[in-house]
Amino acid sequence: MTFVVTDNCIKCKYMDCVEVCPVDCFYEGENMLVIHPDECIDCGVCEPECPADAISADTEPGLESWLKLNAEYASVWPNIAIKREAPADAKAFDGVANKLKQYFSPNPGQGD
Amino acid sequence: MIAAAGKLDHVSEDAIRQLVDAFYVKVRVDPELAPIFARAIPGDWQPHLTRMYAFWSSLMLATGRYKGNPVAKHLVIPGMKPELFARWLALFDATCGELFDHATSEAFRIKAERIAESLRLALFYRPDRPWPPEPTP
Repeated sequence: MTFVVTDNCIKCKYMDCVEVCPVDCFYEGENMLVIHPDECIDCGVCEPECPADAISADTEPGLESWLKLNAEYASVWPNIAIKREAPADAKAFDGVANKLKQYFSPNPGQGD
Repeated sequence: MIAAAGKLDHVSEDAIRQLVDAFYVKVRVDPELAPIFARAIPGDWQPHLTRMYAFWSSLMLATGRYKGNPVAKHLVIPGMKPELFARWLALFDATCGELFDHATSEAFRIKAERIAESLRLALFYRPDRPWPPEPTP
């Protein structure tokens, strides 16, 4: 069991989650974070911390594709455990629908 | 604050210390768990207790005080068995019940169960074997 980062993280990337995660299982892409499913201990601390409500338990229905995306990119993007400034336009993208298709970047972020 | 029944009705750093201290007193005399823990922590227990204060503070108060890799730590403990998690959880839940009111105790139990299952899967789940695992002889 794990938590997964979903659509609304894209281009918001607030990073509040990385500070509270006890096991540092967040990985950073250019405009999104993901959780490494094999490192997450399912504690759920990150879920309510996300200002964009982008983190869910993988037991919720319909998250299979997000679980796959989290697993895939957690193995290639750099680890992030220290919060930085969110993107300047984060608020403008908070709540925009279907960001994956339009805005997702497979490029790695800078990490810690 | 102390609830009517003399039990703590919310989580605080002090409450976490009380819980961790009381729990490990039970662990250290438990026939199933004590030998495993004694091998994993052969010397001074205080560093472990201090780490556990930080762990539960991170989980219950979102303080970010603990940063570690519990999966890796558990992987190297000799004598780990899948069924030990149930014993751990029973003792932990009993300790929570002694200290906290029902709602607070439940909050700890839910977190503990999720994490225990996650560690159990990380340590013992193999795609080619039945799950949940058969008890080890």
